[in-house]
Amino acid sequence: MFVNFFYTCKAKGLNITLSEWLTLQEALDKGLCESSLTNFYYLARMILVKSETDFDKFDMAFEETFKGIASENEISKNMMRWLDKSELIEMVDEEERFRMNEQDGLFHDLDKDEVEAKFKEKLRDQDSEHNGGSFWIGSMGKTSFGNMGGNMGGIRVGGQTGYQSAFQVIGARKYRDFRDDRMLDNRQFQLAFRKLRQFSTRLDIPKTELDIDETIDKTCNNGGCLQIVMGKPRKNAVKLLLLMDSGGTMIPFSSLLNELFQAVHKSNHYKDVKTYYFHNCIYSKLYKTPECENGEWIDTEWMFRNLDSDYKVIVVGDAAMAPEELYSATGNYRGPNGGLSGWEWLLLLKRHYKKVVWLNPKMAPGHAPWREAETAIKGLFPMYKLTVDGLNQAMMKLMLNK
Amino acid sequence: MSNQFTSTGEYVASEQLMASVNVAIALQKPLLIKGEPGTGKTMLAQAVSRSLGKKLIIWNIKSTTKAQDGLYMYDTIQRLYDGQFGEAGVDDIAHYIKLGKLGEAFESEEQVILLIDEIDKADLEFPNDLLWELDQMEFYIHETKRTVKAKQRPIVIITSNAEKELPDAFLRRCIFHYIDFPDEALMEEIVKTHYPNVEENLLKNAMDVFYGIRSLKDIRKKPSTSELIDWINALQIGGISADKIKSELPFVGVIVKKDEDLEIVRQKLD
Repeated sequence: MFVNFFYTCKAKGLNITLSEWLTLQEALDKGLCESSLTNFYYLARMILVKSETDFDKFDMAFEETFKGIASENEISKNMMRWLDKSELIEMVDEEERFRMNEQDGLFHDLDKDEVEAKFKEKLRDQDSEHNGGSFWIGSMGKTSFGNMGGNMGGIRVGGQTGYQSAFQVIGARKYRDFRDDRMLDNRQFQLAFRKLRQFSTRLDIPKTELDIDETIDKTCNNGGCLQIVMGKPRKNAVKLLLLMDSGGTMIPFSSLLNELFQAVHKSNHYKDVKTYYFHNCIYSKLYKTPECENGEWIDTEWMFRNLDSDYKVIVVGDAAMAPEELYSATGNYRGPNGGLSGWEWLLLLKRHYKKVVWLNPKMAPGHAPWREAETAIKGLFPMYKLTVDGLNQAMMKLMLNK
Repeated sequence: MSNQFTSTGEYVASEQLMASVNVAIALQKPLLIKGEPGTGKTMLAQAVSRSLGKKLIIWNIKSTTKAQDGLYMYDTIQRLYDGQFGEAGVDDIAHYIKLGKLGEAFESEEQVILLIDEIDKADLEFPNDLLWELDQMEFYIHETKRTVKAKQRPIVIITSNAEKELPDAFLRRCIFHYIDFPDEALMEEIVKTHYPNVEENLLKNAMDVFYGIRSLKDIRKKPSTSELIDWINALQIGGISADKIKSELPFVGVIVKKDEDLEIVRQKLD
């Protein structure tokens, strides 16, 4: 039953497994949806969808599968009246045929497509009214069940687009929170991040490990009477600061950045990880989300004050910008710059942190003086291409003492 | 039906939430609850426990919590000490096995509600380590070669603040519900369950300010339901008259906790 729905969900990008599907069947067997389409919607959603960020995808799949079906109580009187006046003989959809006996025969010639379009329109309007709007809305501010138009734009985010001009991307929903889309194949990245470790027992953590050598010593000194000595477990002391370029020219690399971001967050062996975003170059504000929205930011100076110089800094960006974006005190597109040029901010970054590396997804091989900004930044920070290999080298650089 | 969850005097649940709870009970699967902080995730378990008249066992997860902690602890050190002084019962390992919260829930003679609170605080692998135990509702104590099996399958409610992604294998076994932020009508109902005698004007003005603050774009920490309830309580105790709420924002520190936010609120709501 509903196998079609299963595949539609999969096609919309929902990661549904057979076991969840069988759970749904079991729930239906037990009569938990009480033969109502609305109940079925919630039942299916609570079993099949495990994150509010996927609600929208589910709504799309649900609409596609069940759009022709509307149960009795979901059709308003208004619509019935409208249906009653219509010529529907040519209609092929089941639900229209179901209503055939309700017409009274006083018809004008109406174009079939027009009728169908109107019907669907009514059905949509009615749906949103009936459900008070908010029912079909996912938490992420997605549009209602029926309003697919808006959703289509919402789903296809980032990734494939080729826009390169900064002004074209402002306002477009092209960025997605990197965390939302799951990447499976980032194990190699994770392994590279494993290199970044520095064990220490001097951290401020509770003594939870039995120190066997000390215990034996103390027990011997104690005349054979057991005396337990506990010690602190060895923990990684590395603190990581990740600064990611989320500017327009980085869009083609968003899936790569995704993987990197995932890898850092899956490597939970760091003492601390902080991630901030910037647009093309670092100025006086760093953004908390990849959308780089005004207000969702921190002061770069705040970061200098609060994240001490022991943080190992990884900057990810293509360093592709016009020279004035780097050197001019008025060259920034977004947000304030505190009266300093991007270059001066980068110098401050270099002065404050002991270890900074720059990862560039599209670094020119060898010397490329025509890429003015890239060449300049290369002189400031060690720059590596964002590949597994480059990442490994960068990690080595971060760990070496000079 | 005996095992049907409904809203209680203290807790107002939306219809979908009630349905989710009842489906989870019927299918015997853990119910995973996500939602903004302060939308009453933890309170849900208490409400379910009260509504069904079952005992509630709470397992609070911290960043250092390990799956093993919920099953059982073998107190080796106590045993070593006792061995030293030849205490009675040292040869009986079972004496030194202490069941954790999960073990407690399994061993209970009657069906209980087990709340695993804020599961996302623990290590990434934590949920995976509990897969078998939550699926089969049993675990094995190596030291005593005993299997602890649930006498009555507990109703498991898990809350998450979405600080970390939970593993797929774990999610697959759960029923999921996301608690939406309550709209004004529901919010009114919620406040009234706490303060049935609240003055209409005070409530209305306070809610206007509250939703006004929530709608501000640049606010860092949006005030939550529980903070609104505290605020209304403070307003009542302080005997603030309703018309002053909008103009003077009394006790606004209860709902706005950050200095920067406070500044923004004062500017915008002038």
